[in-house]
Amino acid sequence: MTLTLLLVWLVKIALVIGAILGACAYLIYVERKLSAYMQDRMGPNRVGPWGLLQSVADGLKFILKEDVIPRHVDRFLFILAPCIAMLTTLLAFAVVPFGPTSSDPKEVQFVIAPGIDVGIVFVFAVGSLAVYSFILGGWASNNKYSLLGALRSSAQVISYEIPLGTSILGVVLMSSSLNLERIIQSQADQGLAGWQSLFGWNVWMQPLAAMIFLVSALAEANRLPFDLPEAEQELVGGYHTEYSAMKFAMFFLGEYTHMITVSFLFSALFLGGWHFPGIAGAGSVYTGAWAIKVAVLLAKVAAVVFFIMWIRWTLPRFRFDQLMSLTWQGLVPLAFLNIVLVMVVKQFGWPVWVLPIASIMLFVGAVAINGMVLQRRMRKQRLAAA
Amino acid sequence: MAIVTINGQDVEIGDNERLNVIQAAKRIGVEIPHYCWHPALSVVASCRMCLVELGEKKPDGSVSMQPKLAPACQMPAKHGTVVVTDSTKVKQAQATNLEYLLLNHPLDCPTCDQAGECFLQDYSYRFGRSASRMEEPKILRADKPSIGDQITLFTDRCVMCTRCVRFTRELSGTSELQVINRGALAEIDIYPGQPCNNKLAGNVVDLCPVGALCSKDFLYKQRVWWLKTRESVCPNCSTGCSITVDQNEEHVYRLRPRSNPQAQGHFMCDEGRFGFKYVHAAERLTRPAIKNESVSTNGNGEVAPDWSRILGRVRQVFSQHTEEDPNGVAAIFSPWMTCEDAYLLASWLRSLSPAVRLALGPIPIVGEDDLYPKDWRGEPVQPPRFVIRAEKCPNRRGVEAVLKHFQQAEVEIGALFDDARAGKLHAAQVVHPGPGGWLNGDQITALARVPFLVVQGLLKSDLSDAAQVVLPGASFAEKDGTFVNHAGLAQMIKRSIRCPAEGYTDARIFMELAGHTGLFNARLLRQEMAREIPHFAAFAAGDLGDQGVRLDASVASQEVAAR
Amino acid sequence: MGLAGCRRAVAKLRLVSRFEEAGSALENQSAMKAEDVHWVDEPTIGLWEAMYVPAILGGLATTLRHAFQKPVTQEYPEVAPDLPPNYRGVHRLNRDAQGRVKCVACMLCATVCPAHCIDIIGDQAPWADRDKYPTKFEIDELRCIYCGMCEQACPVDAIELTSIYDLTGVSREELIYDREKLLIIYDQTKDNPKDPIRTTGGTLGPAAKILGAISPPTTNTKC
Repeated sequence: MTLTLLLVWLVKIALVIGAILGACAYLIYVERKLSAYMQDRMGPNRVGPWGLLQSVADGLKFILKEDVIPRHVDRFLFILAPCIAMLTTLLAFAVVPFGPTSSDPKEVQFVIAPGIDVGIVFVFAVGSLAVYSFILGGWASNNKYSLLGALRSSAQVISYEIPLGTSILGVVLMSSSLNLERIIQSQADQGLAGWQSLFGWNVWMQPLAAMIFLVSALAEANRLPFDLPEAEQELVGGYHTEYSAMKFAMFFLGEYTHMITVSFLFSALFLGGWHFPGIAGAGSVYTGAWAIKVAVLLAKVAAVVFFIMWIRWTLPRFRFDQLMSLTWQGLVPLAFLNIVLVMVVKQFGWPVWVLPIASIMLFVGAVAINGMVLQRRMRKQRLAAA
Repeated sequence: MAIVTINGQDVEIGDNERLNVIQAAKRIGVEIPHYCWHPALSVVASCRMCLVELGEKKPDGSVSMQPKLAPACQMPAKHGTVVVTDSTKVKQAQATNLEYLLLNHPLDCPTCDQAGECFLQDYSYRFGRSASRMEEPKILRADKPSIGDQITLFTDRCVMCTRCVRFTRELSGTSELQVINRGALAEIDIYPGQPCNNKLAGNVVDLCPVGALCSKDFLYKQRVWWLKTRESVCPNCSTGCSITVDQNEEHVYRLRPRSNPQAQGHFMCDEGRFGFKYVHAAERLTRPAIKNESVSTNGNGEVAPDWSRILGRVRQVFSQHTEEDPNGVAAIFSPWMTCEDAYLLASWLRSLSPAVRLALGPIPIVGEDDLYPKDWRGEPVQPPRFVIRAEKCPNRRGVEAVLKHFQQAEVEIGALFDDARAGKLHAAQVVHPGPGGWLNGDQITALARVPFLVVQGLLKSDLSDAAQVVLPGASFAEKDGTFVNHAGLAQMIKRSIRCPAEGYTDARIFMELAGHTGLFNARLLRQEMAREIPHFAAFAAGDLGDQGVRLDASVASQEVAAR
Repeated sequence: MGLAGCRRAVAKLRLVSRFEEAGSALENQSAMKAEDVHWVDEPTIGLWEAMYVPAILGGLATTLRHAFQKPVTQEYPEVAPDLPPNYRGVHRLNRDAQGRVKCVACMLCATVCPAHCIDIIGDQAPWADRDKYPTKFEIDELRCIYCGMCEQACPVDAIELTSIYDLTGVSREELIYDREKLLIIYDQTKDNPKDPIRTTGGTLGPAAKILGAISPPTTNTKC
């Protein structure tokens, strides 16, 4: 019995890691293709049909290239840093459900570590460790560009962790659980029937929180427009300037794994996980329901990943002061207001539809205030110049 | 004091000066273009390029101008002369004249060696018109490559200024060149079968204001705008002609005379002009060596230069021998050495012991002084205007003066060779930064008996083969220094190129032997010599100027006066 | 909006250049008036733009629209690029009508070359119609920056740049092209409509015309 369980776990872990790493490789391909299309190019199309083997070629290249460890680096930390990058992002995936789960131990649980009640806390706790990889990598490289990249990275990640965590609190309050599976369950089980159950998703209930989460997650994953730690134009390569071959690839994989994790989290927290009205509901019991649910979840994840890439090839990089003022002056206050809003609604038992409306009003208000402040500042500057 | 008014500006001309209007105008920076006139040649006023408006200022202040333009070269600048060079009339005349000179000119500047220093180009650009109105076919005349051994004539480029013809008649007196035919068909030519091969023939190339006469030696080697030019002194005889060394990328391409009335005038002889080839000879010594010693090689299998070790050994052996028997130590100075080099070497050896013998090596005398111009029999005409000296070395007087300062009694070079033959010399240094063939076989055999013979020179020879230590030196183009000519005129030579390969300049070798630190600075050393040696008092400024300074004012300048 | 701004700026530029061409530029410049100077002010940002979010959405729409447009990529090895007629590729040394090298070794190209990649040694020509010809003519194609100034400097239209752009070699020495190689490039490219022989005069001065044994001037501008 225990042996079987162990085997199932091992198989699950192997499958998940394999799938994620494979997905990472192909996400790079997808990203290159997408960017090419958005720039009216063709993208990789030389290796294999439609360039599909490009990722294999890249992987081979990473493995076969000379792995340079410069003489001036701190060898132990230099090697440790990319390992941390990979490890933390993969570890965070342990509690992310990639399909339906149930309390019945006989059924297949589509999560590596089922039933962890503090799942979301675990994800953030482990995910935050990723910043060590940047800091250690930058410091061990013994190179000023790497160090600057690492410093930027630590400041950025720590700053964005606050709105990231705060934005989730609202969701947690609504579903009264830190367990990711239960959060999905609660979204699917809002008591709305038919297509209207779509509106049970947190993205409708708390659009502001969803937005804050997405923005902060992008910053956490060092994705554009928040990729300042590795801004080539300013920092050569940022914290991974000195890295080459497989160690560089590990940083790269870490970044993409992070993106996948974030997409899963966003799908689970705000897009209802495996739930989709008419196809997969909380009570779906038809044969193969689990497969449909997995497919639905993966489709949502794919959509989120696409959105993240879309953002990357649309928006230019932030300036560092803009990056900081966005989180401290924009996202953090908004996230706290959002919690207050959720708490008020929940405490006084107001109807649920108040939440999205108030949330949107908050957002529009914030944007408008920002716009007005900006306008006034510009007018002042112009006056001063004249 | 004569006062000439040029373009409304007054120019003062000294009472003893005899200038024409071109020279007077040059004083205030007004350039009057000219082709046929040359300060060293007679005036013919044939090119019509220097036409200006001339007039006279009457004692009452009124000015009367001549109705027609007149050649400035022919007009002596006398008191009251009024010259206008910038009027429309003059400018028109210049432009028309240039158009006329270019009528039959092939305009082959791209392949012409003169391009870049051509007065047709310069004047056309500054005074000429941009287009020719010539519609008829150009008269084209065949080139004459056999006009001389060293010179070639591109007949169609000629503007018939006849400077070359006048040079062979007035300076060399050999009269090989002449003008044949008349009018538009006029050409420069030689008498049949009598090419222009006199010893001054190369000067017609410099005199030619266009690209008609070219030097065969320099032909098509370089474009002149690539050449870097430095002033120097010809090292081939004791006349010490002022020259410029033209080099590009560490290669000397030609020597040209530089006007210096103190030294030789405007010209130089072909012997000097083409006598620099040993600077780039294949036999140049390029690396210091000690005989019978295995050489250390660097990683690429090349022999690593080992200056400090070899110079250290020379220094050690010399001081050892000086301690044992200072009379057995000697140095032979070559009259090709600069005063500075001689001073450095002498002061080093003197610092070892005052008994070390310093001797000036044999002075090469070839025939007799060759005086120009010649008459039709080949006899020199008095007074001579150019002299090729029989003493074929540049600095005998300078080295002699240095040696005289360091040892009162002159050391007979013959006695030194006898001592060497008798085995009485233990260590000797022979320095010869000049061409080969300085010492004869007997002298070399005598020196070969010296157990520790250091030869510092340019070329591999029997002498360097006989040496224990060979040190590559620097030729006249590779170092700074001073030559003193036959009349006691000290002129600077300047470094134009670097020593080949791993070579050191002579001064650097002597400084390292003497254990001096720092870099060789000819200017500072000259100042030191001026303090130390009364004979060189004129060096006090350090810089001797373009024309050089006379060391001994009493060595009269009759020649200059005669010239 | 941005595009329109761009177009306006371009129109302005055109105006300025035409203005400079007209008559003697020097005099006009000195008479330049204040209204000739075009000041560009920072555009005022309205509340809509200051809120950023609409702009972000607009940007997303733009990229999405492009994602469905046809790529403009030319697939190089399979599809040869359509080069403009004045493309500056590998050099060639032209031949005259008798097949001799046209170059007269005047070294103007070597002088004007900003990369110092041309090395010429000239000598007395063995032919009657010119004085000088190159015994050595080397171009370091790796050092060359393909600015085309040699072509402009050449007085006899001997050196020209061709439309050959795919220059490869396995060593640096291999890409130092000597005279023969450059002449072979002429043989290869002279019939290519992309590489017309741009000769206008072609012979060296009238001397060549009269002395006989001469190449008639090739005046064709097409190939």
